[in-house]
Amino acid sequence: MSETRKPIDSNEPLDTGHDYDGIREYDNALPNWWLATLYLSIVFAFGYWMYYHVIGTGQLQMEAYHAEMALAEAQQAERAAARGAVGDDELLAMASDGAKVDAGKAEYTTYCVACHGMSGEGGIGPNLTDDHWLHGAKPTEILKVISEGVPSKGMASWGPVLGADKVEKLTAFVITLKGKNVPGKAPEGMLVSD
Amino acid sequence: MAIRREKPSLEKLSMVGKDGSRQAIHPADVKGRFLRRRTIVYLLLIAIYVSLPFVEVGGRPAVFLDVGARQFFLFGATFNAQDFWLVVFLLAAIGFSLFFVTAWLGRVWCGWACPQTVFLEGVYRRIERWIEGPREKRIRLDAAPLSLEKAARKAAKHALFILVSLFLSHVLLSFFVSIGSLAEIVRQDPRENWVAFLWTMLVAAALYFNFAWFREQLCIVVCPYGRLQSALQDEHSLIIGYDTRRGEPRGKIRRSDRVSLPVVVGAPIQAEEPAKGDCVDCNRCVVVCPTGIDIRNGLQMECIGCARCIDACDDVMIKVGRPTGLIRYDSHNGLEGLPKKTVRPRLALYGAILLVACLGLVVGLGTRTPFEANLLRMRGAPFLIGEASIRNQFELHLVNKNPDASSFRVQVVNGDDRGMKVTMPHEDVELDSLQDYRLPIFVEVPKERFGGPFEVEVRVLDGGSERERTVRGTFLGPTASR
Repeated sequence: MSETRKPIDSNEPLDTGHDYDGIREYDNALPNWWLATLYLSIVFAFGYWMYYHVIGTGQLQMEAYHAEMALAEAQQAERAAARGAVGDDELLAMASDGAKVDAGKAEYTTYCVACHGMSGEGGIGPNLTDDHWLHGAKPTEILKVISEGVPSKGMASWGPVLGADKVEKLTAFVITLKGKNVPGKAPEGMLVSD
Repeated sequence: MAIRREKPSLEKLSMVGKDGSRQAIHPADVKGRFLRRRTIVYLLLIAIYVSLPFVEVGGRPAVFLDVGARQFFLFGATFNAQDFWLVVFLLAAIGFSLFFVTAWLGRVWCGWACPQTVFLEGVYRRIERWIEGPREKRIRLDAAPLSLEKAARKAAKHALFILVSLFLSHVLLSFFVSIGSLAEIVRQDPRENWVAFLWTMLVAAALYFNFAWFREQLCIVVCPYGRLQSALQDEHSLIIGYDTRRGEPRGKIRRSDRVSLPVVVGAPIQAEEPAKGDCVDCNRCVVVCPTGIDIRNGLQMECIGCARCIDACDDVMIKVGRPTGLIRYDSHNGLEGLPKKTVRPRLALYGAILLVACLGLVVGLGTRTPFEANLLRMRGAPFLIGEASIRNQFELHLVNKNPDASSFRVQVVNGDDRGMKVTMPHEDVELDSLQDYRLPIFVEVPKERFGGPFEVEVRVLDGGSERERTVRGTFLGPTASR
């Protein structure tokens, strides 16, 4: 390669005189499309700034986040309302609905017998047939235990596994066990008589 | 009547005019052994790309990247998002094979296998050549004022370009939706699959823009690999170069240079004439170059190693009766007449890292099971002390990564010697593809048999793949009294 390069005619680019270890800088024209990207981003930036910061039509990240969270909460409330809040009375009504109790029993024999016994007499888990309850005897309390579990005692949370519908049916079945007094594990918890 | 063009120089890019405008590069036709071989390679690569969507392995597309479902089918194997760590090794292997090949063979990737070159030279430039004619005609057509013929030729060319781009983008889409659903999607209203439709159109537009207009600027201005060349190559890497020692001083052949001419008695003595090099300065190597450089200026970052100048120069050398290889594949040292070397620390280092990456990939793929199994401790107390026994509560987290539903059998396989009692709701777990499940496992050991923490082994057998895996958890209890 030649050691010195001088502009020979007007076609030669302008040498800026910057020389770094033999790498020289020339003042060539940038490609027009390249410059166009610069000008377009300036135009875009102005539009962006107006949209988000001046006029405020657009939501900034935190606003968008809060809006989405509010929407999700509203949807959740709507879903809960559509389902109808499950209260003690509804669960008790389900406990006298044969089909629902049978469905609950099917879940029981799959998931619960290992700890609570074939007839609810208890094993690792407490006896479900006596009148003593560790975490409350009200239908909604039983539902809560099944759904959310009691981690400190080893009761798993079945809500995520079974879903709300099956948990309700299971609760209905467990309500029917109450008072059967199947001999098994000794009573635990508080005596609840109704 | 050739239109005068600016001579390529090292000071500026040929495709950018003085006013910054795009200067189209119209490479002249060339014939030769490297072009022939490259054509075969291009055809092969295009055939693979276009036919791959139709290939099935084990009843599924050979390549199907279902991004929406995060399922990736590659040559019979199924991967999901949990396998993403393998990509580290995959990218390292790809990256370092490029490094290795670059240090060894220079830009063979760029000239022979890069999709940009394969489709530009193998498809789009051929269409252009077919419709607009050879270099001189194309240059004249570009310079000519708008006429009916010019409009017709340009319209035909761009229509074909758009068609090809649409076809190629549909092929690309088929890797993401599978060819079966692609056939369905294209018959439906675009609004029903507007995301896929938009992607396909965007990709087609990008392909058209790139191959119709942007072209070699991608290699020179955009491609990071092209820019890394100077850091990866050394004086022993294979490049395409001009033999300055043999070629210079260049010059047109004059009658007086022809040694074969009979010596005429009494002719003027040519002693003043300096000895000429082999380069006849025919400019063929410049006009055939797809990036518009003069290879005789030395190795330049614009050179994509396509070897068109080799074919062009060899052709001329044969015609003027001089040895071929004035422009050739050689190392920098080879061209300078210095000792050549192939094995060197740079190559060994890149090779070693490449090997590690490949090894990681192979080991990762080999030990991978089509399901995930993790034995976790259930929330709450680490252990519970009952009347006669100590209880630990585990939870087995299972994820089915098989492409289909599968049933898993879970068994605790050790601890009989301790009188261990295992309770779990059920041993068999049925899971759909990519479904997950948490199975509680209660383990009890009689108090008097507990002599300190020990491992509980849980074996998971996957009925679908017939692969099994043993996961372990530690059984904890009160430490022995001192």
